[in-house]
Amino acid sequence: MLSLTRRTLLALSASAAIATALPAAAADDIVIGGSIPLTGVFAFAGVGIEAGMQDYIKIVNEAGGIQGRKLRLAYEDTGYKVDASVAAFNKLTSQNTIHLYYGDSTGFAKTINGELDRMGTTIMAGASFATELNDPKAFQYQFMAGPDYSEMTGILLEYIAKEKPGARIVLVNSDTEFGRDPIAATKARANELGLEVVEEIITPPTAVDVSTEVLKLRRARPDYTIFHGYVLAPLPEFMTQAKQLGLETKFMGTFWSMDASIWSKVGEAADGFMGVMPYRYYYDEADNAPMLDRIREMRPEYQSTPYMQGFLTAMLFTEAAKRTLEAGKELNAPNLKAALNSIENFDTGGIIGVPISIPGNSIPVGRIYRYDASAQQMLPASDWISVQE
Amino acid sequence: MKIGTAKHSYQADEALLTTRPQRLWMGLFAVSLCIAPFMLDNYWLYLACLVAINVASATGLNILTGYTGLVSLGQAAFMAVGAYTVGWMQLNLGTPFLLNIVAGGIVAAAVGLLVGLPSLRVKGLYLAIATIAASIILHFVFVNWQSVTNGNSGLTLTPATFFGTPLTDYKQLYFVFVPITALMVLGAANLFRTRVGRAFIAIRDRDISAEVLGISLLRYKLTSFAISSFYAGVAGGMWAYFFRVVTPESFPFVYSIFFLAAIIVGGMGTILGGILGAVFMTLVPELLRFGIDWLTPILPNAAAMLSPVRTIVFGLLIVGFLIFEPKGLAEIVQRTRRYFHLWPFKK
Repeated sequence: MLSLTRRTLLALSASAAIATALPAAAADDIVIGGSIPLTGVFAFAGVGIEAGMQDYIKIVNEAGGIQGRKLRLAYEDTGYKVDASVAAFNKLTSQNTIHLYYGDSTGFAKTINGELDRMGTTIMAGASFATELNDPKAFQYQFMAGPDYSEMTGILLEYIAKEKPGARIVLVNSDTEFGRDPIAATKARANELGLEVVEEIITPPTAVDVSTEVLKLRRARPDYTIFHGYVLAPLPEFMTQAKQLGLETKFMGTFWSMDASIWSKVGEAADGFMGVMPYRYYYDEADNAPMLDRIREMRPEYQSTPYMQGFLTAMLFTEAAKRTLEAGKELNAPNLKAALNSIENFDTGGIIGVPISIPGNSIPVGRIYRYDASAQQMLPASDWISVQE
Repeated sequence: MKIGTAKHSYQADEALLTTRPQRLWMGLFAVSLCIAPFMLDNYWLYLACLVAINVASATGLNILTGYTGLVSLGQAAFMAVGAYTVGWMQLNLGTPFLLNIVAGGIVAAAVGLLVGLPSLRVKGLYLAIATIAASIILHFVFVNWQSVTNGNSGLTLTPATFFGTPLTDYKQLYFVFVPITALMVLGAANLFRTRVGRAFIAIRDRDISAEVLGISLLRYKLTSFAISSFYAGVAGGMWAYFFRVVTPESFPFVYSIFFLAAIIVGGMGTILGGILGAVFMTLVPELLRFGIDWLTPILPNAAAMLSPVRTIVFGLLIVGFLIFEPKGLAEIVQRTRRYFHLWPFKK
């Protein structure tokens, strides 16, 4: 006779509780996969990206989904390592039917590209804005939710050319693929705009002592110094030492070094730092930004720039899927990418301040912001600048 | 209970597999390796290929560090040399992939010979620092030898082809990588039945005594470096065909620590230890993902909340092994074997 002990009963009730708590994952859910760095050197970004994507998915699902189909984010932590990102991709695509995928690095985007071409079922965006990926022929099923790194520095140069024609510029780049990415394009564009690149400085990505480099800056006496390939360090050290030497140069950066919360920890030395930002900041009170109001409603505390990137990427994924399904087409890579490329003068609800189009693999639009240490905020220093050809 | 292993010839005494259960288990393992690709999905096949690559490299490091007693933190850099050689040959010469992989091993072995030179004067931590220095120099070469390595952007490889068929899916690659790794592991196991392998062990146990016995330290230390680097180069070559993108950031310094940790966790100085360590270090972080998967129904966003915990658990497991099983995973296997040898009399 089967005897039901207290322990068995407890185990059975625990299993029942787990079974009833299972999320209602329907077979026709549209799954967005993600290799997201929640640990490791890039975790600060991954946490924001995941939150941003989840929030946009929640907004879409609360509004009824896409033609009644719910969106779902299935993701894994990668620790920002390519082999773990590929493992996560294989795990998630083995467990789910995935047509939309978020990748965490340039290395992963390049590694998985052949597989995306072979599968023909999935389009991918991600945390990389590498210039190399902005090639619709070589990376036919990928895109980026913003300008590529060369376009980012291009936006900075447009601003500089307008503010101070003929300005002298120093480029400071980290000695990584990420850091060296836009150097050639920046020099070429500066030349076209009549700006003078007077010095190029390459530092290790984790440089601490930058006194030699700052002396080079002093010799070069630039009007503007553009950093690329860093998140924060060694930018504050550069700025502090340059100020001590009485240098007048204005310091600028690109997207990954533009989060206001990072700079607020630096304090007074961060005042005046400028850079290119493809999205509005969380606290932007612009009139035509209902999505920002919605984000503030959902999350009363400040959300980082990677959050905005994740949010917009989920929005573009959704739009591509929506357009594909509305056209009565199958969800596959060629149809989704074509639908994405059909986006023209699209209103992002104020995440980007101007309507956007995606004719290729990037959205070459951005705005210059300047850090105000007293307000502890990045404030707009220019209007939106497009470098779309 | 097995009461004796009487051997009637030197050949039997030197055999790799000495008992019937050993041969039976090895046979079963070989059969399971053959049928695995037909049972596994893409994710597990990917991991199987990655394990094969890591086992090859860890076995190489085990020859150098576990058997010869020369600590190296340059294994990832040697893998990179192999990967770049394969990439360059694939893109510029178009030679068959097996030839490229062997060439990757040979070039890495040549570099290993050079890097091994300081081992004649320094050992222990000092040698480890020398190998770190070599890694940094090699990284500099990868970044700046633009014409060969394509600098920071690196090399993007076309797939390996076998009689015109591109080897793009993991099942195809499994049938390339696993036999190569099996051969290399078999080679390593055999190495220690030869004079060369035993010279390595003698050097590890007491180098001065070894020299007194007539073992040339110059010759055998450099041979150990060359063999170890050859293994790393071949593993790097397989890595290049697996991921098909090789950049200076593909083989970070932490990857060398990964292999050192693998042989320590697995058991230094045993072939089985290198294998088990590489399997452990590759698979455990992935298996821990399933713990998060199981918790997802009751804890929404478990991946976001528990991923750091996963990293901590992995670290604790390594520390736990070092404390409770200092001889590594291989010792657990040996203990299990001993238990069954004496069964049913041993409690």
